[in-house]
Amino acid sequence: MNLKKVTALFMASLMSFSLAGCGGSKEALSEDDQKTQTNEATVQEAETENTNTSTAEGEPVTIKITWWGGQSRHDYTQKLLNKYTELNPNVTFEALPSGWDGYFDKLSTQAASGAMPDIVQMDYLYISTFAKNNSIADMQEFVDNGTIDLANVDSNLADSGKIDGKLAGLVLSSSLLTVGINNSVFAEAGIDKPTSDWTWSDFLKICKEINNKTGKYGFSAIMADDTNNFNYYVRQHGQTLFSEDNKSLGYFDDAIYVDFVNMIKELIDAKATPNPDEYDAIKALGYEAMPVATGDGAMVTDWSNYACRLEEVNKNISLVTPPKGESEAANGLWLKPGMFFSVSETSKVKEEAAKFINWFINSEEANEIILAERGTPVSSEIRDYLTNSGKLSDKQKEMFEYVNNAGALCGEAPAPDPVGISEINESFNKTVYSVLYGQATVEDAAKTFRESANEILARNN
Amino acid sequence: MQCPFPSARSESVNLTKKMRNNLIAYLLLTPWLAGFVIMYLIPMGISIYYSCTDFNLLNVPQFIGLSNYNRIFLQDDTFYQALKVTFTYVLILVPFRLAFALGVAMLLNKKYRGIGIYRTCYYIPSIIGGSIAVSVVWKQIFGNQGVIMSILSAMGIEQKTSLLGNPNTALLVIILMGIWQFGSSMLIFLSALKQIPLSLYESADVDGARSVIKFLKITIPMLTPTIFFNLILQIINGFRVFTESYVITNGGPLDSTLSYVLYLYRRAFTYFDMGYSCALAWVLVAIIAMFTIVLFKTQKNWVFYESEEES
Repeated sequence: MNLKKVTALFMASLMSFSLAGCGGSKEALSEDDQKTQTNEATVQEAETENTNTSTAEGEPVTIKITWWGGQSRHDYTQKLLNKYTELNPNVTFEALPSGWDGYFDKLSTQAASGAMPDIVQMDYLYISTFAKNNSIADMQEFVDNGTIDLANVDSNLADSGKIDGKLAGLVLSSSLLTVGINNSVFAEAGIDKPTSDWTWSDFLKICKEINNKTGKYGFSAIMADDTNNFNYYVRQHGQTLFSEDNKSLGYFDDAIYVDFVNMIKELIDAKATPNPDEYDAIKALGYEAMPVATGDGAMVTDWSNYACRLEEVNKNISLVTPPKGESEAANGLWLKPGMFFSVSETSKVKEEAAKFINWFINSEEANEIILAERGTPVSSEIRDYLTNSGKLSDKQKEMFEYVNNAGALCGEAPAPDPVGISEINESFNKTVYSVLYGQATVEDAAKTFRESANEILARNN
Repeated sequence: MQCPFPSARSESVNLTKKMRNNLIAYLLLTPWLAGFVIMYLIPMGISIYYSCTDFNLLNVPQFIGLSNYNRIFLQDDTFYQALKVTFTYVLILVPFRLAFALGVAMLLNKKYRGIGIYRTCYYIPSIIGGSIAVSVVWKQIFGNQGVIMSILSAMGIEQKTSLLGNPNTALLVIILMGIWQFGSSMLIFLSALKQIPLSLYESADVDGARSVIKFLKITIPMLTPTIFFNLILQIINGFRVFTESYVITNGGPLDSTLSYVLYLYRRAFTYFDMGYSCALAWVLVAIIAMFTIVLFKTQKNWVFYESEEES
């Protein structure tokens, strides 16, 4: 062998090593985590002691906090953190705001490397996954010792943060599935806004009519980003999306899937809804620049804080409950815990974090800044205070009213989403898109979704 | 003459000297060696272990034998889709990228005024090409309501979907972006071109050879070691494609751009399926190793080493 050959061989082997190493180095980090976890009990004790002494002396503490949201949420949350620092000079924050896209990818990477921020805004969708992975801490002790006061929070709602008997998240708000409406587009089309007794066929009719009269999107989303809309639709048929033991799909009739996807397809074919390609571009725009906000679309499904979130860009948004089923077997709506604050297991400032969360939930001055942007506050006292304070805008009053009125239309809340939900959402999205791209019939897609969802559920639960 | 065993003695001196030399060599290698062992070798060993467990990032891993591998080959359709995408990517990308790199290298192997500026310009895509920002720009160009679509519709060609939104063309856009990053191969070709003795071309000129003949009979044979080296490098790189498909299309539409490493990443960090993901990594290592071995086996048939000729 001559030198050139040797060098080439060497370089090549180096490259392939670096490939495997690339996958491997992440595992090395997580192995450290593993060790942390086995020593969990002792570490936790030590930590609690630490924080106790440090707070007694008012030693400077830095809390890392992360959340998802749009620009307006980033702005006021920063204001909120500054306010807290002003009141408690020893506490400073390191804020890590983000958009929804990629938020949970990043979080799981951080969890794996033991670098999860102390306070994490958490969604119902993922809370059981993170809780079962032991990456978020049980906060029950801070409720028991009075650091966090949940006396004014509806106990069903507060318990929605309990996974396998541990309090994995403190619920911040409640919300409901909603159809957000751009009033000016409706006015332009000369169509009356729907009322809460509308049905899915009314919905289809209105979407197409708006497109015919204005050329704008009647409904500006494809209802397959996740399974929330589909879940609502399944519940209207008196069935559940997941079985009680979370090991398989809960609905037995594939016709539900078929009807739902056909509805999406009908809207796209009529150009009343963006096609997958256009929708992809829309999603990249960010919350404040999506069609309903800018006046390029009439309706979209979102959560009950939709109008409040958009208040700064568009004041002309109103809310209506999602369409009813033609022969509704059950109430599809449910009161969803809006979002949670969870504290990471690796956090060294759990007690300080708990104090902040308590302030966030219960203090009037915090809620004067938040102004229900994250959804209807969970504390009944804060709700009363805000309603009477005169500080609420019309939009916010409307949301409070919406939640109160829609409460009558709510059924029993489903259990938290099962482990593996992100894979199921992905599979749902993929099967629906395979129909939209004309690569599968809707019946085949229903079957594919059932098979893959059952496989995922059986593997994870 | 004074020493009774001159040869033996000099041998032992040589030996200690050799040992000392080796020691110095290892000492100088230590920083790299330490990094290699800690950052590559140990994690690799751990990942072999994890690939045989149900590790989900934070649980205590349970040993489950080879069932992850079993699942990959027998039950996982997405694995085959990702494999198909990655093979298509590599098989189209590598020849085009190398041809392009060689062509540009030959153009730049001339003595123009300001040739250095040209060389730098052509190398820039390779530096910035893998970055997020450029991927975003490509998304803007080829995506819905992007430049390409606007031009097409201005010309009266109405497109139903953009190139990136169509499952049949999305991968081609990603490949195109890969070909555009030909700079590092070009640089290697350029330096190899400079090492071809001018005397060969001069004697060819004397014989009246045309430039095509010169290219085929002198340039290409003299470049084969470099082509071989670039080929292996680019194949390995190609199998590792991630950023483009992650940022531009996130694997879509319909998994048509789901690269192998993106799928591996998703398994690990979106689905919390780390054990399985480690197994996927090792399958990829095996595939790349196979490609490399086969290429090394074939090199005696087409790679020309100057030193061999002389000996």
